[in-house]
Amino acid sequence: MKDNNIEDILRQAKPVVKDDPTFLMETRRRMEQVEGIKKEVDRQHRKSRIILIATLATGLVVGMLAMAIVFLYPSLFQGFDSSFLAGIKDFLVKWKQFLPYPVAAIAVALSLVLTLKPKESLS
Amino acid sequence: MTQEQFIDLVRTEQEPLRRFLLALCSGDSALADDIAQEALIRAYVSSGSFLGRSKFKTWLFRIAYNCYIDNFRKKTPQRVDSAGSEALNLPSGDSADGGFRYQQLYQALDRIPEKEKAAIVLFYFEDKSIKEIAAILDMPAGTVKYNLSMGRNHLREHVKL
Repeated sequence: MKDNNIEDILRQAKPVVKDDPTFLMETRRRMEQVEGIKKEVDRQHRKSRIILIATLATGLVVGMLAMAIVFLYPSLFQGFDSSFLAGIKDFLVKWKQFLPYPVAAIAVALSLVLTLKPKESLS
Repeated sequence: MTQEQFIDLVRTEQEPLRRFLLALCSGDSALADDIAQEALIRAYVSSGSFLGRSKFKTWLFRIAYNCYIDNFRKKTPQRVDSAGSEALNLPSGDSADGGFRYQQLYQALDRIPEKEKAAIVLFYFEDKSIKEIAAILDMPAGTVKYNLSMGRNHLREHVKL
């Protein structure tokens, strides 16, 4: 049998698609659903970003305050009678030479979060 | 790409896309349309990453083929029976013999390997070039030609000419 025969049959046997006006309507409906999901994901991203920035900013302020007190006003630690605060004081005094590192790390992380473009949703 | 721009592009491509999937799904129009919808949504979601290196329709067909393969792997598709070819709206041919031949052809298409079937459908039903088929099926042009040749051979075994 020749290849031409099967080729002729194949070319003539093209299926016919029934015109369905609901097809594009259904596509549009599904796209609306996708848009809804996109908006929700965007909202969650924004919320996570705000929480992250607030946490880093708080860490940075607290860290800098702790450094300032430890290095500039060590006398402020005198007379703490609370064992909890005394514990913090002992910890900060003991490790004060390493204190700038976590503060610097927080500062770098914060600057990165602030400068990076917010993540685009699904697209 | 806005929703309206996407719908405009899809409006012209929906018919060939649905026909391609209808042939792959052996005439199951509900399944074919479901896969087409899934493909369009996948395309819409990733339309931001469409770089325009290929034609929109080639890109869309490729997504549709991947959706079909995912679907095919998830579950064995229902095999076509003699009624399946009616669902395809086959041309009836000049004679009863012609109609029977088309039925045989579609049953035979369902029996050949997926890659060969896809290459045959794209080449003969959608009039795609070898280059376009290679892009859609993600294979070299030589492999497309090989699949077409093997597909024709396999079809000849099943179809009495």
